[in-house]
Amino acid sequence: MRTKNLLAALVGLGLATGCKDLNVPNLNSPALDDLLTNPTRSKIATAATGLLIGTRAGIAAQNGYVSLLGIVGRESYNFDPADPRFVTEMMVGPLDGGSPAFGGNLWGLPYRNILNANVVLAATDRVPAVTNAEKEAVRGFAKTIEAFDLLKVIVTRDANGAAIDVGIDLTAPPAPIVTKAAVFARIVQLLDEAQTHLQAASATFPFPLPAGFAGFSTPGTFLQFNRALRARAAVYTDDFAGALTALGASFIDTTKSLNLGVYYDYSTVSGDETNALFDPNARAILAHPSFNADAQLQTSGQKDDRFLRKIDTLSAPKSAQGLTSDLQFVIYNAVDAPIPIIRNEELILLRAEANVGLNTAGSLAAAVTDLNTVRVKSGKLPVYAGAVTQAALLDELLYNKRYSLMFEGGHRWIDLRHYSRLNTLPQDPTSGGASKRFSKFPFPGFECDARSPAPAGCATETGF
Amino acid sequence: MVQRIVLVSLALAAAVGAPRAWAQQRQITGRVTNATSGEAVARANVSVQGTAISAVTSDQGEFSLAGPEGNARLLVRHIGFRRREIAVPSSQGRVEVTLEPDVFNLEAVVVTGLATGVERRNAGNAVATVSAAELGFVPTPSLEQQLQGKIAGADIQQNGGAPGGGLQVRLRGVTSINATAEPLYVVDGVIVSDVAIPSNQNAVTAAAGGSNPSLNQDAQVNRIADLNPSDFESIEILRGASAGAIYGQKASNGVVIIKTKRGQAGVSQVGFTQRFGFSEISNTVGSRVFRDTTDAFGAFAPVVPRDTATRRLIRGLCALPNGACPFFDLERELAGLRPLSFESGASVSGGTENTQYFASGTVKDDGGIIQNTGFKRQALRLNLDQRLGSRVRASLNTSYMHTLAQRGLSNNDNTGTSFYVVLSATPSFVNLGIQPGDTFARNPFVPSNPVQTAALMKNNEDVYRFIGGANLQWDAVQSAGHYLRFITLGGADYFNQDNALFFPPELQFEPNDGLPGTSLLTNSGSLNLNLNTSAVHTYTPSSNAFSATTSLGVQYGWRRLDISRITSRNLTAGQENVDAGTNIVIGPERRERIKDLGFFAQEEFLASDQRLLLTAGIRADQSSLNADPNKLHYFPKASASYRFLKPKSFVDELKIRGAYGESGNEPAYGQRFTSLRATSKVGGLPGTVAGDTTGAPDLGPEREREIEAGFDATLWSGRGNLEVTGYQKNVSDLLLPRQLAPVQGVNTLIANGGKLRTRGLEVTLGLIPVQQSDLSWIFRTTFSLNRSVITDLAGLPLFRAGGFGASLGQFRVEKGASATQIVGNDTLTAADVASTTYDYLGAADTTGTVVVRKIGDANPDFRMAFTNDFRWKHFDLHVLLDWQHGGSILNLTRLLYDFGQVTADYAVPLRDTVVVPTSDTTADTLRTVGQKRIYGFGKVAKNFVESATFLKLREVTLTYTLPPSAMTSFWRGARYVRLSASARNLFTIAPFTGLDPEVSNFGNQPIARNIDVTPFPPSRSFWFSIDLGL
Repeated sequence: MRTKNLLAALVGLGLATGCKDLNVPNLNSPALDDLLTNPTRSKIATAATGLLIGTRAGIAAQNGYVSLLGIVGRESYNFDPADPRFVTEMMVGPLDGGSPAFGGNLWGLPYRNILNANVVLAATDRVPAVTNAEKEAVRGFAKTIEAFDLLKVIVTRDANGAAIDVGIDLTAPPAPIVTKAAVFARIVQLLDEAQTHLQAASATFPFPLPAGFAGFSTPGTFLQFNRALRARAAVYTDDFAGALTALGASFIDTTKSLNLGVYYDYSTVSGDETNALFDPNARAILAHPSFNADAQLQTSGQKDDRFLRKIDTLSAPKSAQGLTSDLQFVIYNAVDAPIPIIRNEELILLRAEANVGLNTAGSLAAAVTDLNTVRVKSGKLPVYAGAVTQAALLDELLYNKRYSLMFEGGHRWIDLRHYSRLNTLPQDPTSGGASKRFSKFPFPGFECDARSPAPAGCATETGF
Repeated sequence: MVQRIVLVSLALAAAVGAPRAWAQQRQITGRVTNATSGEAVARANVSVQGTAISAVTSDQGEFSLAGPEGNARLLVRHIGFRRREIAVPSSQGRVEVTLEPDVFNLEAVVVTGLATGVERRNAGNAVATVSAAELGFVPTPSLEQQLQGKIAGADIQQNGGAPGGGLQVRLRGVTSINATAEPLYVVDGVIVSDVAIPSNQNAVTAAAGGSNPSLNQDAQVNRIADLNPSDFESIEILRGASAGAIYGQKASNGVVIIKTKRGQAGVSQVGFTQRFGFSEISNTVGSRVFRDTTDAFGAFAPVVPRDTATRRLIRGLCALPNGACPFFDLERELAGLRPLSFESGASVSGGTENTQYFASGTVKDDGGIIQNTGFKRQALRLNLDQRLGSRVRASLNTSYMHTLAQRGLSNNDNTGTSFYVVLSATPSFVNLGIQPGDTFARNPFVPSNPVQTAALMKNNEDVYRFIGGANLQWDAVQSAGHYLRFITLGGADYFNQDNALFFPPELQFEPNDGLPGTSLLTNSGSLNLNLNTSAVHTYTPSSNAFSATTSLGVQYGWRRLDISRITSRNLTAGQENVDAGTNIVIGPERRERIKDLGFFAQEEFLASDQRLLLTAGIRADQSSLNADPNKLHYFPKASASYRFLKPKSFVDELKIRGAYGESGNEPAYGQRFTSLRATSKVGGLPGTVAGDTTGAPDLGPEREREIEAGFDATLWSGRGNLEVTGYQKNVSDLLLPRQLAPVQGVNTLIANGGKLRTRGLEVTLGLIPVQQSDLSWIFRTTFSLNRSVITDLAGLPLFRAGGFGASLGQFRVEKGASATQIVGNDTLTAADVASTTYDYLGAADTTGTVVVRKIGDANPDFRMAFTNDFRWKHFDLHVLLDWQHGGSILNLTRLLYDFGQVTADYAVPLRDTVVVPTSDTTADTLRTVGQKRIYGFGKVAKNFVESATFLKLREVTLTYTLPPSAMTSFWRGARYVRLSASARNLFTIAPFTGLDPEVSNFGNQPIARNIDVTPFPPSRSFWFSIDLGL
């Protein structure tokens, strides 16, 4: 009997200890699950600011968004002596989905931030001590950033499509790949939902925004940024009337600085990112020689001021793999120089583009007005004197977008693809053969490995 | 005496039995002596079988007890001797009993559970036991070195020659790909930490900045090195899950169970040991001899374009007549020291019936062969046993250690700082030694002088450690047939590790980064707490037909590890304080807390006249490391053994045994979380973003299922002992990183999946070919082999498991291939292309195509060791030879020497020059061995693969024990006086051209050992010792 009692006591002790919760949190960093299940006002705030860290990821890197789209759009070269693939793969091809550094990051990093945004949205639904109006502010912000990241995905994959129904369940099967049209529809949907949220939002965001959002750091003014992105998406999908509507609610203003807008921030603060496109000694990044040849002339005979302002000529040309250039970008003149996300100059050009697209006598005239604004203010060029036809104005528009938005995120490549003019890109002869024109990047290898059968976008991109 | 399943903690105490009625009728007296030496055996236990009558022999071996009327059978036992049963007829009043030494540890009690043990002759598992008598022949800094060559199935290798430890114990081959590679260490019931914390020398070497970002290239020491091997009474090794299942989730790499020495009742015994010795470099790689300036120009100053500055430099250095170059042995300039080492130890033990104690103290100081290197240990131990009344026994074990390891600067680097990296680029005509005026030469070839570095740098690892445990046993029930004991054990293992590294601005390499002077400080704290409670109940029916032992228990563990680092550069006035730098980086800080709880239940059934033992048990573990911390993971086990007595005329006893068990390997701390990165900022504003990895929602331990079977035979009246064991381990639920679809937002999912299998064979044979009173010879040999194969990767593609890339050879995990295979770039020959073996060849692959394929396997074909112990009169000679046959090692040190064009054989001419066309019109002509290897870089990684075969004379010791007659004149009252001369690693025979075929650049690894990148050179040590017992 005594034995049994003692055994019972021992088992009791064991069970009592067993009930003790063994859970130990992650002591080395905050946990995503903790943000989801136990959100607080401050956690939401840092996670919301974090969306700007996430959306900036891989923009300024040597093998990032601006640099790689610059190469495929013949805006830039990269002569990095340590990696010949900037020429062999990015110019001659084929584009290979297997390498994260050459295009894979342009897919993976935006999706990382879409996860961040979805986590913020889910956590916001549960967070206490945040007013509904403040929650609406966070939602409007998060959905705008999510739409922006999705836009960055689809402009690199184009006809290959992309995944849109991604969630926060990391163990769910990967979301299916849908068409380009469906992706743009989701981008528009997100931006419009964000508009509704922002309109119902508090006067200020419950989190700080960095200097790049100066002037757009309240829900009311941030909505102008949202509409600017909406206008870009509309133009990309030939919804010209929608673009004009959106632009009307954006910060477009021909009387204000063309540089008014929203920027990616860089700084040398510990933990912050610096702008790797700042390359004062032209170690790797050079401007494409065609910028010199194609620049229009000012009345003084000087080249387009945008060329003079943004590009320096080196004392001696640099060469690699059969390519040569003596042009160096000076757009980003410091390690903490911001990179534009969208700015007034683009909005004016988008309005011109929409009006060219509408192709009515009135709209073409309006387009000429906007083009002249940019020509004069930005290029110090004389006013447009060419034919006022859709075809002629489109040529002029693309010239101005090329020089106004030079090396700011692949605008030339995206626009030429939009108007089926990629075949106008020069086929620079490299030591590995003539360079090719690519219309889209393939899906990264890991995306294809996870899907059976592999979607069409998994094939390497051979170009033409 | 029916208590055959004895409690571990009782093993040294008098056995407890069911009391029977007896009549005290007569006195039996006698004397117990050692059968081989004739010396008295003190403190032997003499009992009358079938009664509770027992006595203990005196220092003279005499005993006296009140025996029963009629014939009696006495059982005489003593630790270290084989038991002896002797009949005493009623007519006889005095007996002389001789005991044979238990050479093969047949009498040992081996563990079966957290609180139970069984006599080895019954054990259902192959449990290796190493007794104190087999330890300490030659002093070593670290416990593992004492075990090298003594256990079949234990592959024990030293990661580098640096003083103070850093060894891997791999039991029964590969058991994991990504989880821990360390066995579990348990000292007197307390689980102790064996963590290896990198020193952060990487801040200087930038070893992780190359093609393998592993931070484990700091020649780190796994912390079992703190323990003082001379305190150990015995070491038991549970090699696989079938024996280790009782430790559940932590045991899949095996368990090393250490018992420390305890006091015994009787007059106090004092022991002193004083040792002196020295170490010297035992192998060098050599360096190319340059004949004259022309020879040197050929290597370093090409004709086109003419490098006049280098030519002028070489002319200055090769200034002997006719432009001959001098030769400096740079390795000996660096590592030519023979410093004095010493070790002083004292112990005292003794006690009364109720209180026993053991106390010891050791001071050890091993000099290093390189300046400012060495190992020191000061250790104190106090073990107490106290009986509280007749039913309660308490024991307390405490030990305190301080170790200081000074380990120089070795292994991989990317900055030209690690000693041998610099030597690999410095030709032998440069003198790096101290110049007149006590200055150091400036190395004109690499801006770094390792002799200066060694003289001025500091790499100190100070560890202060306390291990303590308290144990309470309560014999709750002691009645006829029933016996119930409760055991509670609490223990703590705390250490603080300080790594202070200092590189003054005066070092030639220090200005290289523009920030002269580097000071590194790492502070680590670790605490392991254990609490066990068990109940053990034994039932024996009055018929004595069987005994059944039931044990139940619970074990709680709590672990903490905190590591913080400060890196300081550009030191003002060369001051060592980390706040003296202008460029100070704090962190990364790493913090871990781990809680776990285990439950176990076990039933042992001993029957058929103690010949049949059946055991079944289960352990259930929950741990904060698993995704669901409150989920129980079950680890069952079962075993059976049967002893045949005298099955053949020459076989005394044959035991057939079989066992099955499961155990686990834990996920690493933090693997189960999806982290948010909290260190990023945008425009100076902090924000959080999702991290790179996530754990599966059902993340849990890896699971090893082991089945082992074998037999143990005692032969020729105890003159021979043979153990043969075969095993198969199937490890499933491997912790594998899986690349997620990037749209998920997180790159890598750590999930359980995949399988590997390891099969092996172990044989231990012991023989006593000669056993006479003044001459004996004991021979032992161990043999083991194992083969591992990856049987399933859960759909994952093959991946790199270590190494620097295919061009240098790397470990590759691939379904269907050996877990330890090494693959690398290789160039197809015409025969390859014609062969159908290489079915992976593509249509475009032709002769000369570079492919990645298997070029070696780190796993040895087999291992053997031979121990011979000769005794002639008062001399003992102990010789241990350790032999590894086969296996591959990647010699990247030679690659670096080749790149430096200073390999010893670099200029050896090829018999046939090789002409390699570089275009239609030009060609390179390869004339020397080195040129050919260099040409093969990127094309023929086999060039770096060498055989890891070795034969090492691990231990040789000659001991002279003073005969009693001489002793009285030497020291009246001394129990023993021994003088010995010994040596460790006296010679190594190996085809390997590097320093030592045991090394591992990445430290302890589940798979990727055997990568040699400029390790610390190996040494041999010589010792002279005096042992004195009072």
